[in-house]
Amino acid sequence: MISSLSFINQKGEILIYRVYKDDINRNEIIQFCAKMIATKENKESPIINIDQTSFIHISIKDIIILATTKIDVNVAMVLEFLYQLTKICKAYFQGNLDENCIRKSFVLIYEILDEVLDYGIPQIADANLLQKFIQEGGIQQETTINIERLRQLTYTLTGAISWRPAGLYYEKNEIYLDIIESVNLLISRKGTVLRSEVVGSIELRSKLTGMPECQIGMNDKLLMGKQARYNKQNSGITIDDMKFHACVGLPKFEKDRIITFIPPDGHFQLMSYRISENINIPFKVNAFYSEIRENKLEIRLKIKSIYDQNIYGTNIIVKIPVPKNSVNVISASSIGKAKHEVEEQSVIWRIKKLQGDVEISLNCEIQLGLTTREEVWSKPPLKIEFQIPMFTASGLRVRFLKVMEKSGYRTNKWIKYLTKGGEYQHRL
Amino acid sequence: MAYFGNNPQRGELQELYADLNDLNFEKKKEAVKKVIAYMTVGKDVSDLFQSVIKCLEFNDIEMKKLIYLYIVNYSRQKPDDAIMVIQNFRKDVRKSENPLVRALAIRTFGCLRVPKLNEYLIEPLKDCIQDDDPYVRKTAVLCVPKVYEVSPEICPALLELLQKLLEKESNALVLANLIQSMREIEVVSGKQLINLNQKIIQKLLLAVDECIEWGQIFILDYLATYNPQDSKQAEIIIERTLPRLSHINPTVTFCAVKVILKYLDFLDNGELVKNLCKKVAPSLISLLSWNQPEVQYTILRNISLILQKFPILFENDVKVFFCSINEPYYIKYEKLDIMVRICDSKNFGQVLNELLIYLNEADPHFVRKTIKSIGKIAITYDKALDKAVSILVELAKNIQQPTEPVQELLIQMQLIYKKNKQMYKHDESLKIIYSIVDYANEPESKSACAWILGEFGEFIPKSVEKMKEYVDNFQMEDRLVQLQLLTSAVQLYLKYPSQCATLIQQLITSAKDSFNPDVRDRTYIYWRLLSTDPEVVKNLVCFNSGTFSNFSKDLRLWETQDLVVALENMGSISNLFHKLPHQLYKNIKIKINNQQNVKIYKGEEKPDTQAQDQQDENNQNNKKELQQQSQQQQLQDVDLLNFDEPSNNNNNNNNNNNNNNNNNNNNNNNNNNNKTDLFELI
Repeated sequence: MISSLSFINQKGEILIYRVYKDDINRNEIIQFCAKMIATKENKESPIINIDQTSFIHISIKDIIILATTKIDVNVAMVLEFLYQLTKICKAYFQGNLDENCIRKSFVLIYEILDEVLDYGIPQIADANLLQKFIQEGGIQQETTINIERLRQLTYTLTGAISWRPAGLYYEKNEIYLDIIESVNLLISRKGTVLRSEVVGSIELRSKLTGMPECQIGMNDKLLMGKQARYNKQNSGITIDDMKFHACVGLPKFEKDRIITFIPPDGHFQLMSYRISENINIPFKVNAFYSEIRENKLEIRLKIKSIYDQNIYGTNIIVKIPVPKNSVNVISASSIGKAKHEVEEQSVIWRIKKLQGDVEISLNCEIQLGLTTREEVWSKPPLKIEFQIPMFTASGLRVRFLKVMEKSGYRTNKWIKYLTKGGEYQHRL
Repeated sequence: MAYFGNNPQRGELQELYADLNDLNFEKKKEAVKKVIAYMTVGKDVSDLFQSVIKCLEFNDIEMKKLIYLYIVNYSRQKPDDAIMVIQNFRKDVRKSENPLVRALAIRTFGCLRVPKLNEYLIEPLKDCIQDDDPYVRKTAVLCVPKVYEVSPEICPALLELLQKLLEKESNALVLANLIQSMREIEVVSGKQLINLNQKIIQKLLLAVDECIEWGQIFILDYLATYNPQDSKQAEIIIERTLPRLSHINPTVTFCAVKVILKYLDFLDNGELVKNLCKKVAPSLISLLSWNQPEVQYTILRNISLILQKFPILFENDVKVFFCSINEPYYIKYEKLDIMVRICDSKNFGQVLNELLIYLNEADPHFVRKTIKSIGKIAITYDKALDKAVSILVELAKNIQQPTEPVQELLIQMQLIYKKNKQMYKHDESLKIIYSIVDYANEPESKSACAWILGEFGEFIPKSVEKMKEYVDNFQMEDRLVQLQLLTSAVQLYLKYPSQCATLIQQLITSAKDSFNPDVRDRTYIYWRLLSTDPEVVKNLVCFNSGTFSNFSKDLRLWETQDLVVALENMGSISNLFHKLPHQLYKNIKIKINNQQNVKIYKGEEKPDTQAQDQQDENNQNNKKELQQQSQQQQLQDVDLLNFDEPSNNNNNNNNNNNNNNNNNNNNNNNNNNNKTDLFELI
């Protein structure tokens, strides 16, 4: 399927090169590297065909990870595999993946590459599992000798619950639940909502003993519809689509809308969801651009937080676009600090903390420098980044989380909500 | 040592050689690592082969892996030395109690790719395929295509073993890899290897629930190539596939979509089809906001294809294709393309308003593409014409520079005028567009201007002067412009014979000696005709191109029969380039020929209308089946259309009748009708 896999640095040098099939040679890769370096703009599509060879690549910061193939493979799968591969590497390198760690741990990477692909066909690509038998500097002799444990390992690897090893034990059983929503919003010049969408994810950190079966319930309309008693008080929210981690029993969900799972150990994303109806937009924005006289531009901006009074938004960053030839910017704001940043071509207004139901304002006076070319300024949209803890833009709430294990222990459960700004844009 | 004779890195290699033969284990290990490092940067360290494999005697698994990696890399260069390793492998496979070591050995063994070594592999491989440990089994299963690729002649026994395993294997992961492995062999050999029966399908469907994500993809990918026997079976498979729509791996979701969309064709129940479409759409839309742009891109490329067959899926969702400012351009371009496809009488206003915003973007390529899209919409959807033209004309008013978008603007306006000649004769727009004619600097846009000048000469002020300007620079122009200028000048001459007499003289003198035969020929033709019978010329150049039909065709990617094949391959590279597999992978090397064989194999399995026409009564049974399927297929097309317009019953009945008389010759006619219906809707 995949003929070869390489890690390439910014200069186009091959850091790692592993061949799985015989139909590719190194020179082809080198040619591709030269091409990639020549077109740095990255405008080109991630899949390029040169003489029957397909080059499929993704870029993680400065590293390009490239897969080649000569047959008609499922591209989506290859791409997704490359992403998972980077996840694995990052898990091994404490979250980094740069040239240094690759050069330093190339032996480890080769070992990983040997395991995740066989004949170019994706195999086990779960960092937690791989770490059970591939480790920097080799695994301890003890595990390699204990045949019984090895058997158990291979059965876990190939079994139906491959994500969780047997025999885990914790003194204190805990489970942490994070609901993180990111709001994508596009508002037109006239103030109408062109697109609003919440992409959320539920992340879990589990420290649980044994093989616990968990069940989670939210205020999802379809689920609540099935449980009649909730029908009258609260109709629940409509979730457009949900995607689950492999540990969730999908057939059961399809049938009863109940989310049950045996969690992997440690941190993982249980599910992601998308909601497009009835979204609580956290900010109302009014912006006026006016040219007071030639070469002088005035911007008046008003933002109102429209979430509950006892909730606070944090780390709010408003990016107000200004023309390229802005030279002198004087700004006055009711809260936080605003600064002209030339590289970003915008005035950046930073607010550390903002209570709900408050209106804040910013006035900017901008001196425009003379330009040689008469160019019309294409106003890019205004963007807002923010984080609001204990708030969900979709209104989603977790109603219950049950942990059932045959030993019947008690579990401490912690829950956290957070809403972030995703592609949060106002056209001007 | 003389061994290293002329090697430039003599010192380095010698040092390594010494370290490899050192008695100290740690030193050996470091040396092996260094060898691998050299290998990675592309230096040839094959000369160390013997010393490296000597290190295998240590029972250290990390070192073993490195040495195996080395062997795999150089086995082809040193087949004779590689033989020495065979014993090691066999020992590992047979004797080791550690399943990881057994698997590692058999995996590496398969990668040697030396034909004469493969015969030593057969026996251990057979053992491994029947191993107790599933991990070893799945590794062994994947080893078979490796061997087959190099020495197919020794494989029959192995293939038989695989087929047996397919019957009795119960581990989901092994099963998934087995399917994938057999498919790889099918690609190479061109023969069908997997024989599906009810029981195996059942097993595969169960395995989908149990195995890891990649395994799910293999199975779903395979199921997408299968043709269900009847509606009932299709329904069961769809039912079992539906839960996969909620999988977190976008490719699993996407493959599930593929399977469902394919099997829809086989369902009898129209209501069910409608419900399924409703379930599939949100899943696809989620994939569009997937945070990996490359994956998004793949999905988008495929959506243009899905749209052709299932316009219903995105009926009310044009907004999801709106571009966001930070997206890579390859995604933006794709979205523009889809917006044009998805545009219809209901949402054209929305689409055009969105495109209007993009005209302000900084990137000239993107703006150009936007203008092209607006032009396409204007030409394809008559209702959108006025609005689209007013946007373009508004844009033309603000133009002060010969930028790239201006060129596209002129080209698109020419196309719009060409299609709607009568409508714009006296229009204000003509004058505004004419005012920017001087900014044309590409052959295509210049020729567009020349066309406008010739066609609408009488409605444009000072058209003759402008033409004179062009004719003065005739020699400098591109061939494309020259050809258009000839025709346009003649047109203008027919409109203003007296004013243009000298002009046409000048043109003919400078064009008749052109180096380009086309230009020269055209000049002579016009010249002779003008001097004999100007009436004939009039008919020749001033004809009214009443219909201008080629545009809507432009929007579709495939013929209907090809669409079925294309949908089956959703997600593949060929689809990404909007080609059929055999179009992308043809007549190149043996491997690619094999690819072609697969195509034929698929053709047998898949109703391919064209192939069907060519096939004579030789295999009538088969043919009947194919026809039935293709009819069902057509029926489905119509059903889908009916969601839009319930009044369309007529057509549906017609089709039902046809379904009853199986061997009706009208069949083909009807098919054609449906096709056009389908495309009009798009």
